[in-house]
Amino acid sequence: MLLQGIVSGLLAGGVYAMIALGMALIFGVMRVINVAHGTLLMLGGYTTYWLFALYGLNPFLSLMISFPLLFLVGALLQKYLVSHVVGAPELSSLILTFGLSIFINNMAMLSWTSDYRSVEFLTGSFLLGPIAISKPRLVTFSFALLITLAAFLFLIKTKTGKAIRATSQHRELAQVCGINVKRIDCITFALASGLAGVGGSLVSIMFSIFPEMGRGYVFKSFLVIVLGGAGNYPGALLGGLILGVVEGLTSLLLSAQLSEVIAYVLLVLLLLLRPTGLLKGRT
Amino acid sequence: MKRLALAMALVILAGLSIMPFFASNYTVTFTFQIFMWIALAQSWNLISGLTGYVSFGHVAFFGTGAYTAAILIVKAGWHWFPAGLMGSVTAVSLALIIGYPCLRLKGPYFAISMLALNEVVRALVSYFDSLTGGGSGITLPPSSSLWPLYYAMGGVALTGALISYWVLTSRFGLRLISIRENELAAEAMGINTSALKLYAFLISAALPGIVGGFYARYVTHIEPLGTFPLLTTITMIVMCLFGGKGTIFGPILGATLLSIFQEMVWSRFLFLHEGIFGAIIVFVILLMPRGILGVLQQRYRLPRTV
Repeated sequence: MLLQGIVSGLLAGGVYAMIALGMALIFGVMRVINVAHGTLLMLGGYTTYWLFALYGLNPFLSLMISFPLLFLVGALLQKYLVSHVVGAPELSSLILTFGLSIFINNMAMLSWTSDYRSVEFLTGSFLLGPIAISKPRLVTFSFALLITLAAFLFLIKTKTGKAIRATSQHRELAQVCGINVKRIDCITFALASGLAGVGGSLVSIMFSIFPEMGRGYVFKSFLVIVLGGAGNYPGALLGGLILGVVEGLTSLLLSAQLSEVIAYVLLVLLLLLRPTGLLKGRT
Repeated sequence: MKRLALAMALVILAGLSIMPFFASNYTVTFTFQIFMWIALAQSWNLISGLTGYVSFGHVAFFGTGAYTAAILIVKAGWHWFPAGLMGSVTAVSLALIIGYPCLRLKGPYFAISMLALNEVVRALVSYFDSLTGGGSGITLPPSSSLWPLYYAMGGVALTGALISYWVLTSRFGLRLISIRENELAAEAMGINTSALKLYAFLISAALPGIVGGFYARYVTHIEPLGTFPLLTTITMIVMCLFGGKGTIFGPILGATLLSIFQEMVWSRFLFLHEGIFGAIIVFVILLMPRGILGVLQQRYRLPRTV
């Protein structure tokens, strides 16, 4: 029973980690909390839905489309809107991305109505000893884990990835070393949007799709960042898995309604007791 | 100049206080709503406009106040006026619990924790359904007249304006602004930023608590979804930004102008409501970061806090 909660929590946590990694990158590089992260996720979800509903495209193949599509959207958003508030007081960037998310959500509701839709592709579950494992969750978890690892490889091995990490460690020094910080901002935001888009595609395989579907993920991603330590990217993976397990256990032992409340209490306690996160990060 | 402004304010106040005697029911209701928005925009301004700590969940205090008042009226048989005032007590208690940990850290932590607070309070309200009526909510006995509510809400709006005036012209307000401009420097100057932020937050939570309490009496039926809409928080933020954040008259101006626009134009495009607000937010932040008053201040050399 307990094991069941932990396993299904871990499976959900992998997806959280991938979504949160995008938000953590933006926060690390630009010190901007992207409140529109959930909105980008929603756009990814609808991409998958429409490709599936209109052309019957395999939802897992649609990742190949939702990533570049959201990558492009992110680059445009950064270039024309968000770049103006990088370095400005937090109030500006928080409110700007908040306004963006409201606007895009509203447009989504107007174009696609607020009906709940779903992609019925992979359903059912199988038994592994005493534990039931849902098939869509296992597959999305594997995809999320692979993509997260790919993103880490990109950050560690490639020149651009190193430049992103350098910028997030010290913006001015990175600039002095000849890194085009504006370009890095753009790539980071685009990459993060792409991750959110893929997250949306994966989420849409498990849950319903509607314009407000991303809202909860803003808070979850933020909690993951705090858990792992701000600016600590591997921490995001750990934070995601922990959040998943906590939620899994709460909905199993108490009530699914309260899982958000428990997550909130967790955040407040964590901020009080260990503001640098479980792995060491910056405040 | 100062005398002229004071005289004008008194004339407007006198006009508003005798208005119910000759104006139509519609105008009175509409003015009542403007009062409500003025109080709410002022309260958001006190924490977010002054200290720069963005509260995305101010409607949580509004909703808490509404539920407190409704429960006191229906279950305990209180008169609506003290019940509405009690709304601020619970709202301030909630603010104390949330603000103490979250305000110790820098801006974004606070902002996101407030974004989630709203959902959390709503979840709790639905969960404890023996007290709150769960999803179906609480129905209050019908009210006889709008007049007392009109004056009560007007009083709250006026109190909000007076508090804003006091805060913005006092050392307390200057210290809050120094937190917004540079928190580290303010701390180095010997300002106890954690305590001051918390005080500002408590004051700013009290107003929506009372407004929510009176609002519950006005609508006579409250339920979780309608009492904690994100749109209310958005509206507060837009009004405050549009008028000019961190000023005394900005929220009043923003609330009045946007309420009137809203009534005239947007009620015809109901579905675009949130989208237009979102667009205004983006527009104001990028092109008019200090709002209408900011533009006027630059042009006519007014003091920055007016």
